[in-house]
Amino acid sequence: MIGEIWDLIILSPMINILIVVSGALFNNFGLSIIVLTLIVRGVTIPLTLKQLRSTKALQELQPKMSELQKKYGKDKQKLAQEQMRLYKESGINPAGCLLPMLVQLPIWIALFQSIIRVLAVVPEDFLKLSGHLYSSWPQVFSLVPLNSRFLWLDLAVPDRYLLLPILVGGSMWLQQKMTTPKTGDPRQQAQAQMMLWVMPLMFAFLTLQFPSGLALYWVVSNLISIGLQYFITGGWGGLTAQAATKPAGADRKYIKRLTTAEEKEIDYADTEADIGADVGADIASADVATKEGARYQPSLRAMKRHPKKSKRPKRR
Amino acid sequence: MSKKGVISKALLLAVLLLVLASGLAFPSCQTARSVPRGWSGVSVIDEALFLGSMEGKLVAIDGSTQQRLWPDVPFEQKQSGGFGCAQGTQAVAIYGTPAVTFELVYLTGYNGKAYAVNMETGALRWVYPREDELDPIVGGPAVLGDRVYFGSSNGKLYALDAATGDKLWEFESGDKIWGTPAVNGQTLYIGSFDKKLYALNVADGSLKWQFETEGAIVATPLVYDGAVYFGSFDRHLYALNEADGSLRWKYQADNWFWSRPLANDGIIYAGSVDGKVHALKTESGEVVAVFDLESPISASPVLAGGDVIVAAETGQVYSLSINPRQKKSLVNLEDEIYAPLATSDGVIYIHSADDVLYAVDARSGATLWSLELESE
Repeated sequence: MIGEIWDLIILSPMINILIVVSGALFNNFGLSIIVLTLIVRGVTIPLTLKQLRSTKALQELQPKMSELQKKYGKDKQKLAQEQMRLYKESGINPAGCLLPMLVQLPIWIALFQSIIRVLAVVPEDFLKLSGHLYSSWPQVFSLVPLNSRFLWLDLAVPDRYLLLPILVGGSMWLQQKMTTPKTGDPRQQAQAQMMLWVMPLMFAFLTLQFPSGLALYWVVSNLISIGLQYFITGGWGGLTAQAATKPAGADRKYIKRLTTAEEKEIDYADTEADIGADVGADIASADVATKEGARYQPSLRAMKRHPKKSKRPKRR
Repeated sequence: MSKKGVISKALLLAVLLLVLASGLAFPSCQTARSVPRGWSGVSVIDEALFLGSMEGKLVAIDGSTQQRLWPDVPFEQKQSGGFGCAQGTQAVAIYGTPAVTFELVYLTGYNGKAYAVNMETGALRWVYPREDELDPIVGGPAVLGDRVYFGSSNGKLYALDAATGDKLWEFESGDKIWGTPAVNGQTLYIGSFDKKLYALNVADGSLKWQFETEGAIVATPLVYDGAVYFGSFDRHLYALNEADGSLRWKYQADNWFWSRPLANDGIIYAGSVDGKVHALKTESGEVVAVFDLESPISASPVLAGGDVIVAAETGQVYSLSINPRQKKSLVNLEDEIYAPLATSDGVIYIHSADDVLYAVDARSGATLWSLELESE
């Protein structure tokens, strides 16, 4: 039953579209995969934009993290709450970064299944292709099997020249590097470096196992991400040293306010109680925020809501 | 980012990749792809049955006792190692039905090799090529006289000396060849993924004529009464004049033709993966009947007792007749069927996708016996 729904909604449409587009593009299946990538990334552009904004906001929050880490590094429970609150105030959902990838997971699986069928890799799979073809699109019957040659690649098998794994890993590293905020904390920096390498290496390894057609999708998708990140976040992000040393305008304002608040001994216990309901209302978000490696943050919103409270002397 | 955060994120990514890997049925120590299993049909000589099992073995069975004539002959290919995987061997998928002469059994493997085995002992006589291998061979061998012919996914058709395995000639088409050649007299007919049907001189492999369709050709052609009949992926069944390849007629179904058609008494029966058997007059292509089996047909039918026996992929076997026009359900094996059917003395032999060999009575549909080929 699930298999039938999968075929009807995802696999069959993808197969027929890939075949027709390939037919329109000089029987070039590689170009057809690139067009599919563009379509998928085009359809998911709202999610991508949301992710990019989250990334940018996270980067901009980074100087605050460093400041607060220094100040409240010992009280972890409070750190988590404040971190979560800061995310909420900034409109950031840390889990949002993973959503575009999650959405693409079924696309990867369907693309893999499409490739092994339309390229006649194994007779059993190719025979099953007949059940996916739309009888109302007569040209699809004649166009298969598609031509598996594209540039130096045989799209049905992994790249024997190992260039594609390098391209997949390299483009993913570049994309991740752009989104990795630089921090002053060496331990944090080391962890960020580790994460920066894990995913690209893992996908480079997967490229050695899967048909080149799927890896072609990954490369093009990564390049699209890099382009979008460049234009939407306005630069190379974590690739440049500037991002680490020069806080954005909003950050500078925030740091100034923070410094002022510190001088005036903000009553954090009071503000915490004030927003306690908000914290409880979104446990999942708090959890994610904690997992994301939350740092102590004072509540910007609380300060906005109760400017007078912050002037009261501390009770503790 | 805290240590806990890093671990959580890494775990989440690991789960993601695990889902991806399992979703793609990613076998270990292999590149991610489906595993070819094969669908060899059965060759019958007297009471002896020969077929390729899905464990990559040539099996010889005495039809009367269901005992092995000799121990199964295994065919294996090297499996590449690398990335922490040890080098090993893998069973060869056998798609083509073995061809049998009085002395030798010929077999083609998905590993790109052709073999000849002694029919009496099961001993290997020759292998082609002796070193290396061709691209995967999906079609079976055809034997006529002292020659054996087969096509490969490298697009070439090979003619070998049947006794020695020496290459006599080769012919190159424009794309993969997955079909089995049909030989009639001095002419060999073979279809290719390049959408063409070729007629070649068996003497030297020179081209007599070629006919281009609009789709790939996998189906084995049928030569009958001065015409060549074959189906194409363009959903048409074609009838060409044997002499010059000119078109007699063509007929459109709703999906590909994968299997070889069958002719009897002026009527051609062609099963399509559209789930129907199309019965047409051989002379004109005029429709006589269309039998709807409601399941794709990829196994070539056989003629038994004047009736056409055909199997649907779902395992349902039918007996079709024109006079009187009827579709009689013989048996439901409840086991997928892709391999061409075979018949001898009123018994239908069916090799199922679960690697079981069935013997079915062509009249009553009773299962006379069944044998699991998988070794214990």
